[in-house]
Amino acid sequence: MPPLRPNSGCGMLNLYLFQILNGLGLGMIYFLISVGLTIIFGLLNFVNFAHGGFFMLGCYLCYALLQLTGQFWLTLLLGPLIVAALAWVMEKTLIRRIYHLPHTFHILVTVGVALILQESAIIVWGPIGKSIPIPEALQGVVIMGKFAYPKYRLFLILFSAAIGFILWLLLERTRFGALVRAGSESTEMVSLLGTNIYKLFSLTFALGVGLAGLAGVLSGPIRGAQPFMGPEVLGIAFVVVVIGGMGSFLGALVGGLLIGLVQSLMTTIWPEGASLMIYGAMAAVILLRPYGLFGRA
Amino acid sequence: MKRLMTSKGLFGGTTLAVLAILVLLPLVLPSATLATEIVIFAMAALACNLLLGYGGLLSFGQGLFFGAGSYLSALAMIHGGVGLVTALVIAIVAGALIATFVGMLSIRRTGIYFVMLTLAFSQTGYFLAYTLSKWTGGDNGLLDVPRPGLSLFGVDLVDLKGAHAYYVFVALIFMAVYVGARRVIDSPFGSTLVAIRENESRASAVGFDTRHFKMLAFTLSGAVTALAGALYGMLINYVPLDNIAMAMSENIVIMTVIGGTGSLLGSLLGAGTLVLMGEILSSIWPRWPLLLGVLLILIVVFLRGGVWGGVESLIGRMTRKDEA
Repeated sequence: MPPLRPNSGCGMLNLYLFQILNGLGLGMIYFLISVGLTIIFGLLNFVNFAHGGFFMLGCYLCYALLQLTGQFWLTLLLGPLIVAALAWVMEKTLIRRIYHLPHTFHILVTVGVALILQESAIIVWGPIGKSIPIPEALQGVVIMGKFAYPKYRLFLILFSAAIGFILWLLLERTRFGALVRAGSESTEMVSLLGTNIYKLFSLTFALGVGLAGLAGVLSGPIRGAQPFMGPEVLGIAFVVVVIGGMGSFLGALVGGLLIGLVQSLMTTIWPEGASLMIYGAMAAVILLRPYGLFGRA
Repeated sequence: MKRLMTSKGLFGGTTLAVLAILVLLPLVLPSATLATEIVIFAMAALACNLLLGYGGLLSFGQGLFFGAGSYLSALAMIHGGVGLVTALVIAIVAGALIATFVGMLSIRRTGIYFVMLTLAFSQTGYFLAYTLSKWTGGDNGLLDVPRPGLSLFGVDLVDLKGAHAYYVFVALIFMAVYVGARRVIDSPFGSTLVAIRENESRASAVGFDTRHFKMLAFTLSGAVTALAGALYGMLINYVPLDNIAMAMSENIVIMTVIGGTGSLLGSLLGAGTLVLMGEILSSIWPRWPLLLGVLLILIVVFLRGGVWGGVESLIGRMTRKDEA
């Protein structure tokens, strides 16, 4: 990296600051997706390969609800709720039947669900992606001294940080969270102690998938909605979980931010290789810490 | 134990069945190209089955080996001017090497972590192919992949330009791979793999270096999958980026499981089912993967042994009726 000089360097510095903020926003989206995956796996010992598909559904709901209502705040509320409700119904009717089977069958069923989501999105919204306008209230830039940053992206960082904090409170400070954490240790024991474990499973599944939907709604105005975005998002969620360690809230946060920052900073240095470097970072972490940063052996 | 006995008992029968299917395919199907496609994917599914059905390892990154085999053999033929045999050997060696590398980083993790790692590494391959568009053609794919004739030491033996000639060539390779895989499974190595699948800690306690065995199986699987990838590139004279995408890994796993794990004949049935389904349905309705999704769910909920498992239990039911 060249030494920073006061005149020419200021622009460079701003560029890097810009990309770091972008990386934080991207990282928080990755965090929301991965933490949902991790919570579900922790309690239900179930891997959701349709997670990327639900993210995509979130993006399309952002598009559709904005078209329908024209109100961003309502969309932000309804979008994730619809995704969570769908997940809740799916858990009750389908996922519950296959908990007792090996992981291979969990994967097959959720791959099937992902295919159904993807093809349904194409049937409803067409094979070509939709771009989503930035909501009026959050258009424009925030100016801090010489530095300007898009309002919506700043909102994205703050809002997802707030959601992350609420989620942490929910998991660490409420009865529901205590049950989820206890259930992750021993489902049987929690069940024996008189908790309706099935109700807990449905709620947790809906919560985890709803978080992917929320991430989708939030990132809609930035990257739009495309029918084939599911696999890419699923791949990134796996990378985050592999880096952070499966079942770890902190791991999802650190892993998500790390990947977001790597991807965003690489965009300035080597745009074509930005996505590739995500996986390079993962390989590096795996070499140094085979069980992830916060994972248990 | 019972499972081993039946597979041994069926040994002669299933090999004959595979042979019969290979002979019938080009006669029954409207084109030899379609038959070749089925046999190539059957090879990839067989390699995946070797891992999943016998070693209990679900690799969701087989597309990496498939794509690497297509790209590297094609590049060697286009830029290096190498012949058919050399190109195929390059694919096999590359597949084995990549599998060794991926295996070193992921094989010590078991269960779902292994699945996630293989998937993530296959995505690395996808983005590598996407990034190196100067070589791979990126999104457009690698065009004008040749299909050289079979020649040894500079002497041209057989021209493979014709669809039927190429089918015979691919079918012979498949038969060789099938017999080889059969031998591997029936060898002590194969029994050890099954022991690892059934109970890894016990196999390890008995004194087997389970990681070593799993690595070997993974490398073998990578090599065979890359061979299939190379043959596929030559079949369609083109390497699309899809060859190395997650959807390819997904399809290989789906074929393996639809056919039935733990039965090599099943892989052929699974590949045939998926390729034919795509061929027939895609012309009627481009959104046919939706039906595939529904089918996957139905299979898991109602027919977990796959197609071959269903046939087996049907045969079992019929023979039991005879006895009664």
